[in-house]
Amino acid sequence: MEALVKAWIQSIIKAVYIAKKDAKIYFFKWPNITFGLLLPAIIYLAFSVGRPTEISLTIPGLVAMAALFGAGAIQSVALPLERATGTFDRLLAAPVSLATIIVGKALGGFFFGMVLSMAYSLIVIRLSGATLTYPFLFAFGVILSSFVFSALGVCISAPFRDIPEAMPPATLLRVSMVFLGGVLIPVATLPNFLQLIAYLLPLTYAVDMLHQAMTGQIITQSFLVDTAALVVFSVFFFAAAVLILERTLH
Amino acid sequence: MEVVIKAHDLTKRYPNILAVDHVHFEVYQGEFFGLLGPNGAGKTTTIRMLTGQTKPTLGMAVVASFDITHQLTKAKEHVGVVPEVSNLYDEMSAWDNLIFAAQLYGVPRNERDKRAKELLELFGLYERRRDRVGNFSRGMKRRLTIAAALIHKPDILFLDEPTTGLDVQSSRMIRNLLKELNKSGASIFLTTHYIEEADQLCQRVAIINQGKIVAVDNPEKLKAAIEERHVIEISFSPSEDLEDKLRGLNNVSNVSRVGDKFRLYVEEASEVVTLLIDLARENNLRIISINTLKPSLEDAFVKITGLSPEVMASEKEPVKREKSGSVG
Repeated sequence: MEALVKAWIQSIIKAVYIAKKDAKIYFFKWPNITFGLLLPAIIYLAFSVGRPTEISLTIPGLVAMAALFGAGAIQSVALPLERATGTFDRLLAAPVSLATIIVGKALGGFFFGMVLSMAYSLIVIRLSGATLTYPFLFAFGVILSSFVFSALGVCISAPFRDIPEAMPPATLLRVSMVFLGGVLIPVATLPNFLQLIAYLLPLTYAVDMLHQAMTGQIITQSFLVDTAALVVFSVFFFAAAVLILERTLH
Repeated sequence: MEVVIKAHDLTKRYPNILAVDHVHFEVYQGEFFGLLGPNGAGKTTTIRMLTGQTKPTLGMAVVASFDITHQLTKAKEHVGVVPEVSNLYDEMSAWDNLIFAAQLYGVPRNERDKRAKELLELFGLYERRRDRVGNFSRGMKRRLTIAAALIHKPDILFLDEPTTGLDVQSSRMIRNLLKELNKSGASIFLTTHYIEEADQLCQRVAIINQGKIVAVDNPEKLKAAIEERHVIEISFSPSEDLEDKLRGLNNVSNVSRVGDKFRLYVEEASEVVTLLIDLARENNLRIISINTLKPSLEDAFVKITGLSPEVMASEKEPVKREKSGSVG
């Protein structure tokens, strides 16, 4: 039992080293930071200029988008890039399991996404003069959203061995999520079949969670459903990433 | 002697190709073992299976007393891997690459700096430790890749074509370093398509062709096994368009061109020498030099595989990584 716990601790420590390395060489670079900050604003402005907007809906949508693009966009490039350049083989040859590598990769994206979306929250709340009713619950939502989107980023990049192969599906999925996940249009106003799809997307739950924390209109059951959904999505994306990578590697 | 690597029926099948075909071999503690074969013979796939970078389709292997199917992580703790193409992080410095390798291999925190410094000094890279690896030459990258593979003092070092594409000076430096490492007790598993390199470095050589191991022995025994064959090396002036005529001579089984000389593989040397003198006279050629040679490892390779030495001399094409069916 003691040996098992020790092995687990070792795996977590090694995953953190992988995350630190990824954060240093892929994530915390000025072009990525600028991209992560500007893209959600540009998408939002492109859609909302000239339309009436509600600030309580705008901020959760922007922050969720920052988490989606910050945690996931670079992530879906980093893994195929490592496979194309051969640096991923360095990880494979090291005494770490594939699951540890995936956790490490996801932690790197999670950390970047979290820092970026926290910074985003501070900026937009300050600029808009909006009030954040439950800051801790909002922060909890940001953390959970960054986690799930980073796991999603690893999962959708897992089948690909090069960036040109990985980019189109990743971009398509993210853009579709932005339109269906309640960022720009409330899910309740979508046609029924699109609502059905929306509830299969993690962004829908992230936006709803942040919206509840922001406005203070907490519906306990709904907040718990959002939390559970994001946790289930995270576990699913991790497991799928390991399985897909295992298949494509061997 | 203790066996440190054992491959039993090891097989790798990709959708369109049988890359490694039921191979068996053993490597002993402290041995310098070479896997020699032409490009595409299955050398890289074998090393990738033994180091856990790809799973065998069939068969089993034991590395450092651990079954790679069930105890892969344990086996990897005892192994250092130097791939064919250096796989360092170009964006990181030489120092940071070594420290990251030390972290992955669980080198204790208080030993990492000391070990990285020792290795950078040993490989002549200490002065460049703060430079980005992306700015390094190919030889420097290869040296740093070997250093990274040694960070945890592995018992077994796997090297996949470590001198391919390097200049003469870098190749010699790496060969000398490998000899020293082997002397200090490390078991070394090396793949190469340079016959001379295998001859110089390896205590035993396995010859692999089309995924199959066709011979395993030490280089001298492989050479002795074909001593009934003779090799004549001859140089003419002028020497153009002679290969077909030489092939047509009685008792000549193969002809290869080495620089300005022809190498003839023959059954009976004295008879062929007479024929060569006749050929020179009939074609108004001057014989510049003529020698009979002892069989080399290259001759043994040619006899065993039926391949020409030119197949081995050709440099490897850049490999697209990880594609199914891409074998080395």
